Amino acid sequence: MSSATAHDTDDRVILRTQAAVRRFGGLVAVGDVSFELLRGQATGLIGPNGAGKSTMFDLVTGMRPLSSGEIYFRGKRVTTAPAHTRSPMGMARTFQIVRLFQGLTVLENVLLGFHPQFADGVIKSLWAGRSAIALEKQSRERAMEMLEFVGLAHRAGDAIGHLTLGQLRLVDIARALSSSPVLLMMDEPAAGLNDAETDNLAQMLVRLKKDGLTMLVVEHDIDFIMSACDKIVVMDRGIKIADGPPDVVRADENVIAAYIGRRATDAAH
Amino acid sequence: MTRSATPRRKSVLPVLLVLAAGGVAPFLITGGFQLRLIMLIWIYAILSMGFNLLYGFTGQISLGQQAFFAIGAYVFALLQTKAAWSALPAFAASIAFCSAVALLLGIPLLRLRTHYLAMATLAFGLIFYGVAIRWIEFTGGSSGLAVPPLTYGGTPIDRLQIYFVILACAGCVLLLHDFIIRSHVGRALQAIRDDETAASALGVNVTKYKLRIFVLAAAIAAVAGVCFSIVSLRVDPSLSEFRILVSILTIAVVGGLGTRFGPIVGSIIVIVLPQILVSFGELETLIYGAFILIFLLFLPNGIAGLIETMRWRKRDNAAVRAKAEA
Repeated sequence: MSSATAHDTDDRVILRTQAAVRRFGGLVAVGDVSFELLRGQATGLIGPNGAGKSTMFDLVTGMRPLSSGEIYFRGKRVTTAPAHTRSPMGMARTFQIVRLFQGLTVLENVLLGFHPQFADGVIKSLWAGRSAIALEKQSRERAMEMLEFVGLAHRAGDAIGHLTLGQLRLVDIARALSSSPVLLMMDEPAAGLNDAETDNLAQMLVRLKKDGLTMLVVEHDIDFIMSACDKIVVMDRGIKIADGPPDVVRADENVIAAYIGRRATDAAH
Repeated sequence: MTRSATPRRKSVLPVLLVLAAGGVAPFLITGGFQLRLIMLIWIYAILSMGFNLLYGFTGQISLGQQAFFAIGAYVFALLQTKAAWSALPAFAASIAFCSAVALLLGIPLLRLRTHYLAMATLAFGLIFYGVAIRWIEFTGGSSGLAVPPLTYGGTPIDRLQIYFVILACAGCVLLLHDFIIRSHVGRALQAIRDDETAASALGVNVTKYKLRIFVLAAAIAAVAGVCFSIVSLRVDPSLSEFRILVSILTIAVVGGLGTRFGPIVGSIIVIVLPQILVSFGELETLIYGAFILIFLLFLPNGIAGLIETMRWRKRDNAAVRAKAEA
């Protein structure tokens, strides 16, 4: 295991990727990408189609293993940590294609976020007795608070199938927040939302940021990301081409070339 | 704000009512044949509750539950006849043995999903059946083994006492089944069934939970197997026959997969219906088949599922009304 550098003892750095690489056969989807997520900041990860941002997101969330490179979360190496160990550490995520549990109610979906706090397995749960009942009650109250935060407390008892896409996204966020994360990673949270819903989402991110939550947002919607994020990492063809505040990135020649240049070639077809 | 929409926080009361009904049932019936039918209902209910946890709640199909059912019965019989163990330790050993087999089998098998898992567990069931019928000196071959009757204080217990032994086993399994469903464990299992990726992102150790529930379902099948051998006083390879599996699947379809009382409702129907259909003579099988088909087409969630969706609908209507009034 590689030793932590002086960098990792800096507690402003919540997450750091170091020369992350992911190959699929001969194709390099992510090639040597390093960036940092700073405490209390929202960082956007953008790039044209096929830039490798979704793969990068999968590497950070532990859904796919890295081919090489390292990922540190609060100074701790998490490169090979299984996906299910990341939620208890304080890493939470939402999904682009909403992946809520269809057989559970809205409230029960959010309650899953509290899962790591409960006793592990049936026997220990039976043993826990009253304290488990207390924890369940407390979790339900907290879950209702989360649903109130996203404005869906009135749908707590509903089946997932009865909600609109915008509402599903909010439940996904409430579910992720219920694990009390340090870092919230969102995969295209605005995809498929209408303007009002996107505005609502952007305001929610601002509120979360005020509460000190660190965020990573992968997004196509440039306006959304420019308004909601403090820092933007731009990827193109598997590599990082820019990293900085929105204004700086917007003016970056490489970024303009990646977006406009791509569009020009598209037009030629 | 109204909290009328607060979802199901289930009480244990219905379970106690079911058990109370089971307690008075033998005093309401007339003959030994009917008592035997009720015992069979409980045995199939036990077996199906394990399957319900595994497939209905966790989404992991196993077509080898009948083999665990038979292994449980065989271990119980063999330890008593060949090693002269008494019934209670033999019962415990039977559960432990089935759990151990399931653990060893589950580690490689649970990497598989859907029809691959179904095929692999089915193969296990077929292999066991082959062994049970051919390893004659150990299993008694197709004629099987005799199981000594349960005794208390040196004398065999009567049929009614046997019934209460079965009811006690069913009660324990029912309470465990219910505890799992109502607790965070049941929630995690359902999360695994609905989306493994999302479940692991929320901190659910998917592999571990799948293995645990596979072992538990096997242990529950062992309990059912022991109960069956206590009632029938005989263990033979027919316990791991295909028709046992078909019964489990039919109970799941008719009662309702992933429901709280589906296994019990399904068992009642699957045991009682053929008795009624006997009067139709040769048409029995046809009517039975048509009945299953109707369930698949119109009641995919079974009877217990129908009752649950009706409750949903009622609550939805109540919510709509509350909104209209506001």
